[in-house]
Amino acid sequence: MFRVTMKEDLNEQDYYLEVEAPHVSRHWRPGQFVIIVTHERGERVPMSVATINGGRVGMFIKKLGKTSVELYRDFKVGSSLYAVAGPLGRPLKLESYGTVVLASDAVCGHAEQLGLAQELAKLGNKVISIQTFKTEKEVYPEKYLAKKYVDEHFITTLDGTAGYKGHYIDLLRELLARREVKAVFAGGVLANLKKLAEATAGLNARVYALVRTIMVDGTGMCGSCRVRYNGVIAYACRDGPWFDARLVDWDDVLRRDARFKKVEKIALDKYLAR
Amino acid sequence: MSRVVKKRFTPKVLPVSERLRSFGEVVLGYDYETSVREASRCLRCPLWFAPCSKACPLRVKVPAFLEYIVKGDLEAAARKVYEDNLFPSITGRVCPQEWFCEGSCVVSKIGESVSVGLLERYVGDYARENGLDEKILAEMVSKNSGVKGRVAVVGSGPAGLSAAGWLRLRGYEVVVYEALHRPGGVLAYGIPEFRLPRSVLDHEIKKVENLGVEIRLNHVVGKTVLLSELLSEYDAVFIGSGAGTPKLLNIPGVDLNNVYTANEFLTRVNLMRAHLFPEWDTPISVGKTTLIIGGGNTAMDAARVALRLGSKPVVVYRRDREDMLKTARRDEVLHAEEEGVEFRYYLQPVEFLGDENGFVKAVRFEVMEPLNELDERGKKKIVGTGRYVEIPADTVVIAIGLEPNRLLMEESGLRFNEDGTIAVDDHLMMSLPGVFAGGDAIRGESTVVEAMADGKRAAEEIDLYVRRKKGLA
Ligand SMILES: Cc1cc2nc3c(=O)[nH]c(=O)nc-3n(C[C@H](O)[C@H](O)[C@H](O)COP(=O)(O)OP(=O)(O)OC[C@H]3O[C@@H](n4cnc5c(N)ncnc54)[C@H](O)[C@@H]3O)c2cc1C
Ligand SMILES: Cc1cc2nc3c(=O)[nH]c(=O)nc-3n(C[C@H](O)[C@H](O)[C@H](O)COP(=O)(O)OP(=O)(O)OC[C@H]3O[C@@H](n4cnc5c(N)ncnc54)[C@H](O)[C@@H]3O)c2cc1C
Ligand code: SF4
Ligand code: FES
Repeated sequence: MFRVTMKEDLNEQDYYLEVEAPHVSRHWRPGQFVIIVTHERGERVPMSVATINGGRVGMFIKKLGKTSVELYRDFKVGSSLYAVAGPLGRPLKLESYGTVVLASDAVCGHAEQLGLAQELAKLGNKVISIQTFKTEKEVYPEKYLAKKYVDEHFITTLDGTAGYKGHYIDLLRELLARREVKAVFAGGVLANLKKLAEATAGLNARVYALVRTIMVDGTGMCGSCRVRYNGVIAYACRDGPWFDARLVDWDDVLRRDARFKKVEKIALDKYLAR
Repeated sequence: MSRVVKKRFTPKVLPVSERLRSFGEVVLGYDYETSVREASRCLRCPLWFAPCSKACPLRVKVPAFLEYIVKGDLEAAARKVYEDNLFPSITGRVCPQEWFCEGSCVVSKIGESVSVGLLERYVGDYARENGLDEKILAEMVSKNSGVKGRVAVVGSGPAGLSAAGWLRLRGYEVVVYEALHRPGGVLAYGIPEFRLPRSVLDHEIKKVENLGVEIRLNHVVGKTVLLSELLSEYDAVFIGSGAGTPKLLNIPGVDLNNVYTANEFLTRVNLMRAHLFPEWDTPISVGKTTLIIGGGNTAMDAARVALRLGSKPVVVYRRDREDMLKTARRDEVLHAEEEGVEFRYYLQPVEFLGDENGFVKAVRFEVMEPLNELDERGKKKIVGTGRYVEIPADTVVIAIGLEPNRLLMEESGLRFNEDGTIAVDDHLMMSLPGVFAGGDAIRGESTVVEAMADGKRAAEEIDLYVRRKKGLA
């Protein structure tokens, strides 16, 4: 069950992992995520879905803490994960907007772009994709970029070693000044999503963001993932994970993301010291 | 009739000193001699009258199985229990017997009621430890000839497990769909192992699987499989999806770090084993003092878990102890008290106060007072006094109740009541023909035994429905 069918480096930190999970792939729609558990003692870890190949689900994962590092080091093609559940969350209700921009600056955002780009193109949108990396070295191999599904594709790097120099927000600002963008979908670093919400405050377009919160069950049972949205409490796993970026209380999201920082470090250090 | 023994025999209990940092089971139960003595306290009311049996949602024939204990025939006692209850090792541990069998026991008029719960547990454990349960169930299931139909069960909590078991015994093929990676529902993620050991729960689930029930984990009905798909694939569907969503207090500061819902707090520990972190991967963060807001079973469990994680628990309830005993199992309150959990009454939270890093540091409460009036549930009505107190705490657990999980609602087009519970008719059937429901999903928060009773009755109703549909009845 849940056999690993492929594992590949995307760059030094991020990797692609594909597992057999036909029960998930059957009904998955863009915007939905999965929860994986490595082994019996593992944590329930939410992941965006990058690819669906028949009954196989592909993810982009960043080597960040215990689970993601262990998964990279100890799981090979042929190993099995303990659990894969999903699809979870609400599918995005996508429409024909006109010109839309996809923007991302980290794993989950890059992953979400692939599904979104294909679906938005199918709906007849003109899709522009911006993918931000730190330097040229971090840029993903071409087959894992949204490039092949979109009308225009931009790489930006913070140091300018590849593509546009700057962050997706900088390029987006320029695009917004020149083009009539009807919808923006962004995912990645939470602090930058907050900036995006500020930068698009008065914009007459939809702006959606992937709200990545700390989850346990992913089914609306525990409230770990809660986020203040439009003044009330929403559950990211059940009501999201995509929300109107400008109605999200980002300070709340950022604060709650740091809830377990201290103990998470203990787990990683202990694993690495094995 | 011989003189009634007014006092009940006490079970073995883990000493308080050994409980403080241990998740080992607290109540160790009766041994053979004590169980015979305790069962002998029963007056053997005739079954048509026995109030204990009538008060039991499963109608366990209490005097009959107690009589077998007195005779020393534990296998016969187990058979008697299994006629009505497939999970005596669970109900014997977690039922609030004082609201059911024991609460109506005749002996309680002149002394302490017979300890029906502990005796049921003794019989259940005896059967399990001696392999009798599998034998009894195998005999029960072998009475069927052929397969009558196929039924899908949503959720593997007490309602779903019971429905699945009884449906199997009636000759149905059953597949249970469970959203989580472990079966059991609240039994697995809510009730701590010092009340219901994992080994017992695992065995009870295995027992259902050994009957031939398939449990498909990691399947969220409404997402992974749709209700419409189940309806076309099976003859009927039973929904036992529970009352899964925690209510939150809508007061300032509820978003602060280290403010947990009881479900998150308990799930991290019971299901994900955060107390064994970092050997197990899921973390939990608790400080020196944990305030638990609420007064039900959930609050007691959260308090006693906090204690075992090394924090000082303070349960803050807006009413008094007497009213708390109407929502929490008596034994759990007593155990919490003897373990040193502190209780504060007549306080209603109005605000959570945070430190500069966004972690909770105190809770502000309004002091409440009782009115000379009772509410619908027989609890004293309370009003605010306009006086406030602040209690410092670096961890808070909100345990003010649950409401049904709306996950299924989005896809199914089923009819729901205003409070989110599923509407069913007298036959436990929903607005969609062939879809039945029971347990917390239809009752809101209730009890394990009522959920099991719903599952059992639904099995009967489903059997009738399917046979009619197929022209067999
Ligand atoms: C909807 C959603 C989609 C996601 N998609 C991706 C993805 O495509 N690729 C990817 O690499 N990561 C993704 N994540 C984040 C991923 O779940 C966490 O990075 C992962 O849990 C880290 O686990 P760890 O043990 O490696 O690190 P840890 O050291 O345990 O945690 C590092 C950080 O990860 C986050 N985190 C930790 N535990 C959880 C948890 N149970 N749930 C959510 N976040 C947590 C916190 O920000 C934490 O500070 C997604 C999260 C959500 C909610
Ligand atoms: C902390 C706590 C302590 C308690 N203590 C006691 C006690 O001591 N005694 C007592 O009698 N009662 C107690 N209760 C109440 C009791 O646990 C519940 O009444 C009982 O568990 C209800 O059973 P259920 O089967 O209806 O639902 P649950 O036990 O909630 O099980 C529902 C199951 O369905 C699954 N599910 C939900 N939606 C879906 C879906 N869409 N697809 C697939 N699966 C789904 C859930 O994951 C879960 O496993 C307690 C409750 C709590 C929270
Ligand atoms: S009511 Fe009490 S005395 Fe009567 S049969 Fe039940 S347990 Fe025995
Ligand atoms: S993760 Fe538990 S409610 Fe969302």
